[in-house]
Amino acid sequence: MSAGSDTKDQVAALGEKYKYGFVTDIETEMAPKGLNADIVRFISAKKNEPEWMLDWRLAAFRRWTEMREPGWARLRYPKIEYQDAYYYAAPKDKEKYESLDEVDPKLIETYKKLGIPISEQKMLAGVAVDAVFDSVSVATTFKEKLNEAGVIFCPISEAIRDYPDLVRKYLGSVVPVTDNFFATLNSAVFSDGTFVYVPKGVRCPMELSTYFRINASQTGQFERTLIIADEGSYVSYLEGCTAPMRDENQLHAAVVELVALEGAEIKYSTVQNWYPGDENGKGGIYNFVTKRGDCRGHRSKISWTQVETGSAITWKYPSCILRGDDTIGEFYSVAVTNNYQQADTGTKMIHLGKNTRSRIISKGISAGKAQNTYRGLVSVHAKAINARNYTQCDSLLIGDKCGAHTVPYIEGRNPSARLEHEATTSKIAEDQLFYCLQRGLSQEEAVALIVNGFCKEVLQQLPMEFAVEAQKLLGISLEGSVG
Amino acid sequence: MSAAAQREARRTEALDSFRVRGMPHRRFEHWRYSDLRAVLDAGQVAQAGTAKWNIEHLPEGVELFDLSVQDAPEWVMKTLGHVGNRRTMVEASLAFSEGGVALRVPKGKHIAEPIKLEIGGQGNLRWLIVLEQGASATVFEPHAHDAGYLRNVGVEITLAEGAELQHVRCAPLAPRSFTVELMALELAKHAKYYGHFANFGSRLSRTEAHIVLGGEGAEAHLSGVAVLGHEAHSDVTTHIEHAAGKTLSTQLFKHVAGGKSRAVYQGKITVRDGASGSDSRQTARALLMSPRAEADLKPELIIFNDDVKCAHGATVGDLDPESLFYLRSRGIPEKDARRLLINAFLEEAVDVIGNDTLKETIWHDIEAALPRAMEAAK
Repeated sequence: MSAGSDTKDQVAALGEKYKYGFVTDIETEMAPKGLNADIVRFISAKKNEPEWMLDWRLAAFRRWTEMREPGWARLRYPKIEYQDAYYYAAPKDKEKYESLDEVDPKLIETYKKLGIPISEQKMLAGVAVDAVFDSVSVATTFKEKLNEAGVIFCPISEAIRDYPDLVRKYLGSVVPVTDNFFATLNSAVFSDGTFVYVPKGVRCPMELSTYFRINASQTGQFERTLIIADEGSYVSYLEGCTAPMRDENQLHAAVVELVALEGAEIKYSTVQNWYPGDENGKGGIYNFVTKRGDCRGHRSKISWTQVETGSAITWKYPSCILRGDDTIGEFYSVAVTNNYQQADTGTKMIHLGKNTRSRIISKGISAGKAQNTYRGLVSVHAKAINARNYTQCDSLLIGDKCGAHTVPYIEGRNPSARLEHEATTSKIAEDQLFYCLQRGLSQEEAVALIVNGFCKEVLQQLPMEFAVEAQKLLGISLEGSVG
Repeated sequence: MSAAAQREARRTEALDSFRVRGMPHRRFEHWRYSDLRAVLDAGQVAQAGTAKWNIEHLPEGVELFDLSVQDAPEWVMKTLGHVGNRRTMVEASLAFSEGGVALRVPKGKHIAEPIKLEIGGQGNLRWLIVLEQGASATVFEPHAHDAGYLRNVGVEITLAEGAELQHVRCAPLAPRSFTVELMALELAKHAKYYGHFANFGSRLSRTEAHIVLGGEGAEAHLSGVAVLGHEAHSDVTTHIEHAAGKTLSTQLFKHVAGGKSRAVYQGKITVRDGASGSDSRQTARALLMSPRAEADLKPELIIFNDDVKCAHGATVGDLDPESLFYLRSRGIPEKDARRLLINAFLEEAVDVIGNDTLKETIWHDIEAALPRAMEAAK
């Protein structure tokens, strides 16, 4: 049997059970099902939010009721019943924890299964973790060290109370309330999320990371992240997630806003491994995310790196607005889809300032019956003198039932700008596979090696802690499905 | 049902379909760079009348049928209104035109002399060509300058097994007109289509080709140039569907945009799941000569099969400053140097035209259009 047809057989035989599929049974406090102005008020009240925040949410909600769900992406899924979901769930509220021992042991157990370094591991990993469990942040570590540097790293609900001026100034300034259907929904009902502020000239002393986890059944997760890097500062933020196995589709609509002021740099890395549904396409997370970075000051830089292996539906376009002169935007992406997964993901690079530069490297891997689409826009406005873009989109197909699509938009309005786009679509070369097998590697090892090589340019961009996890994830996602 | 009655029925259908869909606008993904509804309403299209066609000399061996005659023979009836999917402007050209022309090259015939099909005047028009098994021909389709306010042409081309068609379309500058030409092509086994689209722009110009490579080994090779100045607009949109195995498509488009012009290229390639061993290559490049000009490129790949080779490349930019410097250091004045480099840029896309006389005709038009394209906006 040839290597190619062997690979296809194994795709068909895929039955890898989701490793992180478990449910923690803790009491959750839920808002009633459905979405209306009262639910928005309920969420706001739960968070003890100030009046202006409630008004902001209500305005978003009113707007949302007039909006229609976008249908332009190459995604097929059953109609989402927005009135049939819960919009708020919080882990049982305890007054205060003296130490980790007081935290619900089941919660700690969950973190352990996920490998979140919250106890001893946190010291070894050297990562400050602001763990989000079902929308409410329960543990924040390394606060002191960050405090020393003047970095604010806290749940956004806390930031709304403690730093209202900063939040009011920047929230919704990158992704406006009216931006799109999912972002507007998020603006109305976001439960919690992360807030980061790095003051002028500060280099954040550690990688910041948050682990999201969707837990309660039928609960949409609406995270809101806002990161502000003040003049000349630097921050690297890591986001990673897994979710328990579930039959009903779960809706996730997060919004991430990044603001880089003059000379600042933000590096945002994601490893996404939410439940993708079973081998028959049942269940799985619906992930509709709006991520956007604004290089507001001159010489600022925003870099997105993502490894997307999970979710039944991925709708995600981390973008950069290159507003300042000499700003840089980067997008490195690996998207793996298997079984019935569908991903429509890419980026937008909007060149507004002079000498702005952007680079897009996208690697799509499609196996089983999955559909994987890269959709990207590079737009150079008339004043963006000497703008430069390089885009490379490569797709790898594994099996003859899957699809890989590339939909780039390239719009140039300045003659001094240079835009280059390249894309290829291919399968794993038989000769590469043969070479590896002939050297004594198993088919599975060989494919993992080739796929890792295919994604190398992106994986290199990840911080150390994540690079290891991402490589493992690629292996797990394609385990049994290739080679 | 008589042929005339059938035609009438199909026409009524087209009319209803156009009424339902209406004018294409930028919310239609494929019309995002050419908003026809913003500049033209459906009533104007309906009242534009019928455009003119002319074939001065019909090469021997080619059959011609005038579509203004209602009782059409079977080969016309099988094709007219049946090739490709029913896009709204195609329906309009069928519903509102009173005439047009149908051509057929019988089995095994090779027509060496190009068929010169001139298109002129204002209004809707249909033309079609059928190449039977193993036949070959060349169609040269020059358009006249004056298109009134609108010219909307619908074209159907079917190539039977092993047939080969060369098609060179040349649309000169029509600064006051809206010009639309939508082509639908079906290729059987081992049929080959070589299409060249030269565009010099209009107020809104749309050239669209939908090509279905329906039989194994079918090939489509597209090339084209757009040389635009002032406020000219040119939108070339292609969709090549690899529906059978071992099919091949290549595309090479070079656009030069000066003044306040806008050059658009949208190229979509679909590889169906059964189309194993297909190969598809696509290159689109645009040169911007002025700070007010705009180039939009959208090369799209939709792939449902792993046994394919697909690649596309797209660039937007100015002339390479190093090349320019080199030429100037040899004593060539800047303007001449720029012109040389633009010629070199376009040459690749013109060179693929298989007929030398037609190649010269296109070069002649390019030379005439270049000074305009090299101007910056006033």
